[in-house]
Amino acid sequence: MSRLGSAGLLRRAVLIVVGLVWLVPLYLLVVNAIRPSTAFTGTNEWTIPSSFGLFQNVSTAEQSSGLAGSLASTALYSIVSPGLAVVIGALVGFGVSVLQPRRPFFWFMVTFGGAVFPAQMLLVPLFVAYAQLNLYNTHQGLIIIYTALSVPLAALVLRNFFGGVPTHLFQAAQIDGASLWTTFWRIYIPVALSALVAVFILEFTFIWNDLLFGLTLASSNGVRPVMPALASLQSAYGGSTVPVVLAAGVVVSLPPVVVFLAAQRFFARGLALSQIAEL
Amino acid sequence: MQAEADRFELKAGGVRGPHLKSAGLSVPRSAHARRRLIRPFRASYRSKPQVTKPTATAGFIAPAVVVVVALMYLPFLYSVYISFTNYDGLGSPRWDGIANYVQLFHDPEMVDAIRNTAVWVVAGVVVPVALGLGLAILTYGIRHGGWYRLPFLLPYAMSGAGVAVIWGFILQPGGALGDVLKTLGLPGSGTAWLSYWPDSTIAMVIASAWQATGVNCLLFVVGLQAVPVAVLEAAEIDGARAFTKLWRVTLPLLRPMTIVVVGLAIVAALKTFDIVWVMTQGGPGYTSTTLATAMYSQTFVADSYGYGAAIAVLLTVVTGLASAVYLKQQVQVGGVKR
Amino acid sequence: MNKSNVAFTTRRKITAIAVSFVAGAFGLTVVTTSTAQASSVTTIKLYNDKGAWDKYFTAVGNLAKKDIGVGVQPVGYTNEDTYDAIIDASFRTHSKPNVFTWHTGAQLQEIVSQKDVVSTSSIWREGIAKGDLTAGVEKYYTVGGRQYCVPLYVSYYVMYYNKNIFTKYHLSPPSTWSGLLQIAKTLKSHGVTPFYATDVLFSFLWFEQLLVGSNPTLYNNLEQGKASYLSPGVISVMKEWKTLIADGYFTNPAVTTAPQTLLKTGAVAMEPWGTWFTGNMKLVGAPPSSYGMFVIPPENTHLAKLPIIFETGPMCVPTGAPNMSADMSFLKWWTTPAPESYWASVTSDTGADPKAAAPSASIEAIDKYASSPKVQLINRYYEATPAPILNTALSEFGAFMVNPKGYMSDLKTIQAAAAQYWSSHSAS
Repeated sequence: MSRLGSAGLLRRAVLIVVGLVWLVPLYLLVVNAIRPSTAFTGTNEWTIPSSFGLFQNVSTAEQSSGLAGSLASTALYSIVSPGLAVVIGALVGFGVSVLQPRRPFFWFMVTFGGAVFPAQMLLVPLFVAYAQLNLYNTHQGLIIIYTALSVPLAALVLRNFFGGVPTHLFQAAQIDGASLWTTFWRIYIPVALSALVAVFILEFTFIWNDLLFGLTLASSNGVRPVMPALASLQSAYGGSTVPVVLAAGVVVSLPPVVVFLAAQRFFARGLALSQIAEL
Repeated sequence: MQAEADRFELKAGGVRGPHLKSAGLSVPRSAHARRRLIRPFRASYRSKPQVTKPTATAGFIAPAVVVVVALMYLPFLYSVYISFTNYDGLGSPRWDGIANYVQLFHDPEMVDAIRNTAVWVVAGVVVPVALGLGLAILTYGIRHGGWYRLPFLLPYAMSGAGVAVIWGFILQPGGALGDVLKTLGLPGSGTAWLSYWPDSTIAMVIASAWQATGVNCLLFVVGLQAVPVAVLEAAEIDGARAFTKLWRVTLPLLRPMTIVVVGLAIVAALKTFDIVWVMTQGGPGYTSTTLATAMYSQTFVADSYGYGAAIAVLLTVVTGLASAVYLKQQVQVGGVKR
Repeated sequence: MNKSNVAFTTRRKITAIAVSFVAGAFGLTVVTTSTAQASSVTTIKLYNDKGAWDKYFTAVGNLAKKDIGVGVQPVGYTNEDTYDAIIDASFRTHSKPNVFTWHTGAQLQEIVSQKDVVSTSSIWREGIAKGDLTAGVEKYYTVGGRQYCVPLYVSYYVMYYNKNIFTKYHLSPPSTWSGLLQIAKTLKSHGVTPFYATDVLFSFLWFEQLLVGSNPTLYNNLEQGKASYLSPGVISVMKEWKTLIADGYFTNPAVTTAPQTLLKTGAVAMEPWGTWFTGNMKLVGAPPSSYGMFVIPPENTHLAKLPIIFETGPMCVPTGAPNMSADMSFLKWWTTPAPESYWASVTSDTGADPKAAAPSASIEAIDKYASSPKVQLINRYYEATPAPILNTALSEFGAFMVNPKGYMSDLKTIQAAAAQYWSSHSAS
């Protein structure tokens, strides 16, 4: 549907210019992550460094903070919790907007309301509760809280997405004698695939970057995710130099970036709800 | 069948009085009588399985509710309890009645906090949502659209630690922003952006929008997929130009996703904490403080858990009301409006 | 229908992946918990808010394993406020730390009054008798006549200076306050910024330095609630600070570049810091010959004892901690010379033990100076001030640095917070 020609060129030009402006902070990030650790002066942040110090910086970061050990746990939390949350969110989205419960908005707000609470408010009560329930410093404990944190967004997106699906789809399924579960799992979920993937990658990134809950609800390196280890690099009391902090930040941010890139194909035009209209 | 399906128009809020009116029936007074009137509609479906078995529906809704209530509402209730006490984190809380809430109304810091929170809600919603929408529309459906979107998605993937350091470079007096202004010959190259209000809050809103725009763009792209190709083509055949197509067809059909994006933006803006705390700690003085940073500093720095909890309760109530009011907007289940 | 087949297979794949991850998750949990249990026999968890020191704790832990058979697993936090809240909360649970770092001053008094920490009086008695601990430091570990915790570190606040700049302008470390101001004036006339203004976290540094240098008794009274922030002595300190700012002697407080980088590159000539800052300088690769430290001379030349601001971090054992005997033997071992020397060398800092070897001549000189009877140790503002007052003060000092003309209203705000605190807590 795209048209080349002056409108198309203008569009692309605008996108390129705005994109470049957007990338400036990232340029600063990468350039200073590559800079050798002691070459940063505070005033030379724009210049391209004369030697490539990225690997050295990363290894310094790893020695200081033991990042590598927490990568496995972080991957575990970032995949399992959003996965569970996306399914739970789809369940409630389906229940609230396709089935006809009494007070659907109330139940939806109860679920979405979880997003309303400030994280810092949850820290101390959760810490005490986790300690009493023996969930403190366990993988299960962190998976549970991360899932709970991810459910509200999933519920919001999917409640609205399913609400936009034409009802004749549901009625057709009912006429064919499909059970509710089959209707949900085999018809509505595939239709919502792009929304599910979008929510998943957003939550993946959010959980991957979590600092507070991992810091508070776990104490061993094998259970804590990677961000608390990264945070220890930035401290008035000794921390690390700016290039080391940035290098660690860049390397640790790679998985979410890779996930975004890999998921791009889900957003190519084609995998669309519009196709259902043709059925 | 079609006519009855039309009358039995599903709205997210369930079947209510006005539908009966438009179906040419008068609305009876008692709820019981009303329910009996609805039954004839359901009767037409008697040959099909019941749609709304309460236990089945509950089965779909329950997991989400259980998880969220257990892990978030219960700690919140604990905070509500603490907001009525005087507590410093050690020993037991001492009951204090509404003293903390009274203090809220007399505290000059709260004036700054509420003012800044309001700025965050307005600017922090309008800017990233408008930018995200614009980008989604511009990049949708063109070749390599995904690549054009990438620069906007990458910031969201960056860890908070790296982002804070970078914006520190940019915003410090004589930092990157100052360098750019000097090169362009514009004034303000020596300004300490984060030292004065309102520059500090505006600068932080921009830093936050840098990350949030990509998320909104992504969600709008998902939403654009719900716009049926056939409808767009029909509009073009009818002679609609790009702007009309956008305004009258695409945007209304994007409504479900717009509701999501704006709802999320409101909540995120109200809850903004990390970026403000790292950059200014709510200062200098209390000039850039928000409800979220005030809650944190009172609870964790001043050890006034009770007062901090009162601020948290206030913030939660405000956020809950704002999002509930906004999200109550009905979603047309019928898909394309006829 | 091809599309639904594709969708179906994709769904299957997704389900399979999801199921395997969930299974893997629980598998991993089983493995991890069992290994954790196996290795926790002689290892104690050392909770601390100096997350960047994790590697030092691990290194010392290896030493401890060899000497007394107790291994150390550090649990580091970098945000002090969240750390304090979690430790406070942990006292009510059965997930207590074995050992945790804390703060002297009001916060130590609080946990003692709640009976949350174990007394270490016997360790102190022995330590002082053997010369490993000093009475000057002991004062800050004593509450109600008994001692609690042992010093993890002791750092003194001195002025770090860029030797290259001093050499260039033929300057040498001053022995008087007026000499220091003269140096500042000279540097300023050559276009060099003399002093580092600090950032919000340390916005109290200049306040305390100026007040302690002019009237340490007033400072101590202020910290104990016996004096007001609106006393003439405090107001004159703020006026003096304001003058120094007006003279252009400070860096812009909004600068976010790390102080060690600023000092190394010569963007600023002098910075007041605790002696742990040497570690920071090493980190940015500053050659040891390029910087030095000198004791900050007091402004008031008629003081009976020379004041020096110091910072000490206690290491404590909570009441009811697991592995109590291992925890206490670790604390006791910490006060002996070997670990103290090792700690001082890895952190390049002063230490609590006069018998421990100092990592460098300059550090040794400061150690000696601080333990002389002519010198009084003044507790750092951050520890000495109760939390609600500190919260307000940090914010107001930050505001002052940006707008020095507003000092009276800043002082009034801090005093209001102080009055509110002391009205419900007896002035000690």
